[in-house]
Amino acid sequence: MDTSVFRLEGVTKRYGDLVALNDASLEVGANEYLSFLGPSGSGKTTLLRVIAGFEAPETGRIFFDGRDITNVQAHERGIGFVFQNFALFPHLTVMQNVAFGLTNGKTRVPTPEAEGRAAEMIELVGLSGMEGRGVDQISGGQRQRVALARTLAMKPRLVLLDEPLGALDANLRSRMRNELRAIRERLGVTFLHVTGSETEALAMGDRVVVLDRGTIIQTGTPGEIYDRPASPDVAHFLNRFNLFEGTLSNGSFSASFGTIRAPAATRADRDCYAVRYDRVKVLPLSAKPADGPALKATYIASEYLGSSIMSFFDAGQGHLIEMEHHLSLGAPETYEPRQDYLLTWNPEQAIVFGREAAI
Amino acid sequence: MSSTVTIQDRQSKVTRWLLVPGIVWMSLFLVVPIAMIVYVSFWTQTTFNISSDPTLASWKQFFSSDTYTGSLWTTIRIWLIVLATTFIVGYPTALFVGLFVKSKTLSTVLLVVCVIPFWTSFLIRVLAWRPMLGKEGAINIVLLKLGIIQQPIEVLLFTELSVIIGMTQIYCVFMVGPIAFMLSRIDRNIIEAARDLGAGFGRIFWKIIFPLSLPGVVVGAIFVSVMVLGEFATSGALSGRKVNLLGNIIVTQVGSLKWAMASVVGVVLTIVMGVVIAGLLRIVDLKREL
Repeated sequence: MDTSVFRLEGVTKRYGDLVALNDASLEVGANEYLSFLGPSGSGKTTLLRVIAGFEAPETGRIFFDGRDITNVQAHERGIGFVFQNFALFPHLTVMQNVAFGLTNGKTRVPTPEAEGRAAEMIELVGLSGMEGRGVDQISGGQRQRVALARTLAMKPRLVLLDEPLGALDANLRSRMRNELRAIRERLGVTFLHVTGSETEALAMGDRVVVLDRGTIIQTGTPGEIYDRPASPDVAHFLNRFNLFEGTLSNGSFSASFGTIRAPAATRADRDCYAVRYDRVKVLPLSAKPADGPALKATYIASEYLGSSIMSFFDAGQGHLIEMEHHLSLGAPETYEPRQDYLLTWNPEQAIVFGREAAI
Repeated sequence: MSSTVTIQDRQSKVTRWLLVPGIVWMSLFLVVPIAMIVYVSFWTQTTFNISSDPTLASWKQFFSSDTYTGSLWTTIRIWLIVLATTFIVGYPTALFVGLFVKSKTLSTVLLVVCVIPFWTSFLIRVLAWRPMLGKEGAINIVLLKLGIIQQPIEVLLFTELSVIIGMTQIYCVFMVGPIAFMLSRIDRNIIEAARDLGAGFGRIFWKIIFPLSLPGVVVGAIFVSVMVLGEFATSGALSGRKVNLLGNIIVTQVGSLKWAMASVVGVVLTIVMGVVIAGLLRIVDLKREL
């Protein structure tokens, strides 16, 4: 049985010489929360705009609800779009904004009915009592909710959100994160959420799609992405790994920390060794680890993050090594600034990428 | 007690000093002259002399003479027509320059093109319409050559129509500028959002674009109104003296040293302009919108 709501097949989009999207294929199930992660310029917003119908792809097809919508106009696709800067109508009230699509859209809903449906949506996003306010009289978080309610009022089966939390401050962002999920679960619609923040992508998506330079480089659950990044680039975006350049040959990886056995390497277009921040251990310089990596590094500073402490070490040539210590594992050790330490880790827990890897 | 001088006190002192030049200027060159005109309108005018004995004679004369009241209505009629024609010609132009042209450079170039006629003098721009509209003018020649008409159209020049054509051309740019400015400030995402919600172009225009450009329309209308209501040169040059606006009356009265009557017309004109501007400002709250 085909449960997919939405499917992309080999979609390519160019702006002149720039390839914004390269042969992107993707399948999205019903009632799913999908987040698109990538650095700016990776093509994630382009992908969203192509899906919405604001841009036409050069090649490839887009299917939605079992029909080919590649050449269907944006407003006839039944796909909702929440803009990055909300794009509210500045001269209208909250109620008029939310009801706009109902009263002015393709199928004109009579005003009383439209206002009823709009009021439901306003209640859903928690803005009851603000119907009559102008959108310049409400806060950024409330504007975000109005934008969402305006899109949801059209009862789309797929909602596209373009960095919806980008314009909010950190506190509000984490609150809206929970609310977005809750609203989505209540309505049972599929959300596609574009973000440049790895925390947001991993926290919100049922599945995460990682994009780089117009190409989808990995798709998977947050756990899969986090534990088994498909390439050095993915590991880099996740902002959770210390990366070492080096060479993989005959099942051993050689880099600044010496040469270590690396039997289970992942195939990639360059040789790279990744160690998660919380896998790094710090030993005094005098200690001699039996075998495994040993990297001399100078301690710089620490950052207290509440549940953990991040410590920063300089491994020479400006290579910054980060070490995360979860406070639940015990009190942190204190290190002397500008003193050398020995960094090590269990090689089993490292992720190795290489050109000669079998898989 | 110098220590009790607070920052607020000092700031309000600075504010007062900053206001002085403006107040002095406006009093000397606006308030005093207007008061003077109102005062002179009640002076006694004899054929060769004027005295400051108060009288309502000039006012009575203005409102009892068909020439004067007729000219008041002509002024209002021409103002309304020109306001409409500058809007009808100007709004689509502004829509194109401010909204449809995506490149900022190109829209600036187009606005400059609109302003190019201002590089020549006002009178030349007005008089240039004569060889265009005349009986043997460019338009008639072209239409005759094309065989569209057999007889030259005489109504084109030295009529109310020629005054309206001339004024529309001269003042249109004052309508285009403010509207194009407001339109260019509209966030394109808003229009895309409206389209995504299923609204067609007509709906988007009437519900989103037009309301958001309304402050520009009002500012443009104020510019055009103020200039058209005070006009005398275009009507003088293009109507063959058939169209007499209040401005023309003032020119004639001042020319024949009838200061009292000129003042009456001046006061009437000022009141009309005041009412028009106050009315236009009621349409939108400009302080909030700009």
